[in-house]
Amino acid sequence: MDSIYWPTFFFYLFSGLACAFAVAVLLSSNIVRMAFYLVLSLGATAGLMFLAGAEFVGAMQLLIYVGGTLVLLIFGVMLTSQERFVVMKTWAGDWVKAFLAGGALLFILAYAAFSIPEWRGIERTEADAIVAQPTVTPIAMGLLGARTDDPSRAGYLLPFEIVSVHLLVVLIGAAYLARAKRSRSSIEKI
Amino acid sequence: MQPVTLQNVVDSLVDNTLDMSLPFFRPELALCATIVILLFVRIFKGGEYIPSFFIAILGSITALILAFPAEGFESWATMPRQELFTGMLVYDTLTAFIRIFLLSFVVLFIILSRLTGIADAKDGQDYYALVLGATLGMCIMSSANHMMMLFMGVEMASVPSYVLAGIVKGRQRSSEAALKYVIYGAGTAGVMLYGISLLTGVLGSAHLPTMAASLADLDIPNLLTTAEGRLTVMVLVLGGLMLGVGLAFKLSAVPFHFWCPDVFEGASAEVDAFLSVASKAAALVLLLRVGAGLGLTTAELPVADSADPPRVIAVAANETTAPTQNAVLVKQVADSQDATHVGGGPLSPVRRFFVILVSLIAIVSCTFGNLAAYGQTNIKRMLAYSTIAHAGFMMMAVAAAIALAGRDVVDARTAVSALLLYITLYLFMNLSAFAIVAFLRNEMHSEDIADYAGLIRTSPLTAVMMTAVLVSLIGLPPLAGFWPKLRVLQALYMAGGPLMTFVLVAAALNTAIALVYYLRVAKTMCIDPEPDTRGAVSLGFLPAAFVFVVSVPVLIFGILPGPLANWTDLAVSQLFS
Repeated sequence: MDSIYWPTFFFYLFSGLACAFAVAVLLSSNIVRMAFYLVLSLGATAGLMFLAGAEFVGAMQLLIYVGGTLVLLIFGVMLTSQERFVVMKTWAGDWVKAFLAGGALLFILAYAAFSIPEWRGIERTEADAIVAQPTVTPIAMGLLGARTDDPSRAGYLLPFEIVSVHLLVVLIGAAYLARAKRSRSSIEKI
Repeated sequence: MQPVTLQNVVDSLVDNTLDMSLPFFRPELALCATIVILLFVRIFKGGEYIPSFFIAILGSITALILAFPAEGFESWATMPRQELFTGMLVYDTLTAFIRIFLLSFVVLFIILSRLTGIADAKDGQDYYALVLGATLGMCIMSSANHMMMLFMGVEMASVPSYVLAGIVKGRQRSSEAALKYVIYGAGTAGVMLYGISLLTGVLGSAHLPTMAASLADLDIPNLLTTAEGRLTVMVLVLGGLMLGVGLAFKLSAVPFHFWCPDVFEGASAEVDAFLSVASKAAALVLLLRVGAGLGLTTAELPVADSADPPRVIAVAANETTAPTQNAVLVKQVADSQDATHVGGGPLSPVRRFFVILVSLIAIVSCTFGNLAAYGQTNIKRMLAYSTIAHAGFMMMAVAAAIALAGRDVVDARTAVSALLLYITLYLFMNLSAFAIVAFLRNEMHSEDIADYAGLIRTSPLTAVMMTAVLVSLIGLPPLAGFWPKLRVLQALYMAGGPLMTFVLVAAALNTAIALVYYLRVAKTMCIDPEPDTRGAVSLGFLPAAFVFVVSVPVLIFGILPGPLANWTDLAVSQLFS
């Protein structure tokens, strides 16, 4: 069993799952199925984060995207659709155009990501020498503004706090838009 | 040196936050408090009888008062640049100026919203909370010193604006405008995040001055001589372009302007004023911050940050390029440096890239906006194209400022001063134009230019004020719009070089192109015969007074631009130092 290098195996497993379900989102035409495939794709991405030693980001990916946003999305779709679920139809021309635009972007980004020498893969001996450091505590302290790793670098107190005001405002906006409509004579007539 | 213990870290954090950062953050805190109070009073019995207008106006005036410098404007002449919240934001005279500008605008805007009746008693608190939330985001945008704050500022300004675009419910056009705005905004924000992650990945930091230091260490002219190095530069260029996509969306610069006419037509005229004045001003200052932040190294760079090993990409030892090819490349670099006149130094390639990109987009936006405005029949759509054109004109000042900053700091300050003067006078011009459109909509239920025919006979004050504002938007003397255009042209002339001369010519030509479509509206209002079907149009006392107060500065500053120009000069006196 020593011949299998497990991190590589799990990398291929998770990245394969993430890509396969992302393609499934694209190919499916039922919106509920799309949302479910997206859950699986994002869950596999969280696995990649754990594999890279970024437990905090992985956990947030699971909690926020998989646990929060998407479950909400599925329930939102299920609760608000009055008739049958929306089935999206895509014309062949749209497929070609979308493929060209998306493919070009994918090509450029992939090319860019592989062109930085430091971002390329490392040898197995080097990889074995890496000792994983826990990242949750430094990141959590960083979000409170205190960088335990290097006190001279920027702490994230302000974005962490100000985003709460932002979310409050966004919630108000969402509630406003979702509320039943009322007439507003002079402006509506135009 | 002290050992790093948790206690030390927490102590320095508390000191930095409470003593250094928060006192400079008071206007923003006042905005946050106002948003919370607006929502909170409704919980209590009788709270619904307190009009949200009063809370909003009191809160924004408090924030404005807090934004004024305690020791008077003269203290700006010696105010140092400071980093707040351990480097997240920067507080300098530009921040102080733009904050006063944004908060003054918001005070006027809240009064306008009350007068036109778009914020009524029942939904007022939502509307004002969205406006103040967006303003908070714009304040953060214009003082961002870190890629994270840049992104958050853009989002905090954009997301409430999406709702504001659809604030009038039950109107298809309005919902369509909001939806278009959201989709465009989300797409460009995603592209911008990709760009930011590429840049921060290569440079090893998201803090703008640290990124500039890493860029300087990369030694781009040397990188360009190797194949590996060129790939790295390609990634940096790609990241820069993708970051530019997000900024161009906020600036409604071509080719990311498609949302602008549709959103402006669908949203109400009041919201258009907000988007065209406050949002553009914040985006322009942010563009300047990115250009100056990445294109210039600052002396204030934290010592420990530069001690952090910069990620210099190893230059391949066996250079594949032949020496003659190297010489050609070096010569090309030197030639293009001549073309843009950005000065020397390790960051001159960054500045050259920024200047070329911004100037080209500025020329295209300005020309396209002016040409597309010709065929418009809807006044809001016409003003949307006019906004695109003006944003292009103002971007030219940013390009000139960054081009000059590498050579002559004093000249660069003049260019920024021209930009600030433009932004300030643009407030009066566009706010009064959109206010008139909104008040006339309430009276006539129309926003078509043709329906304004003969307005001078029934509502002379409105027609005269609108004409003055339009002439000022063209940039004709003796109205205020003339001076900022003149000073931008002057800055472009100072910047010199073939590229800037080309920009200068394009800018001058555009002023001539713009003449026709603005004057067409003025002609419709003042010369065309009045239709028989229309009754008397009168704005009422308070709306007329508002229009008068907002548009009179266009006349006053046209004749006496001195005080305002002195103020903007003072606001840039410590920049780039």
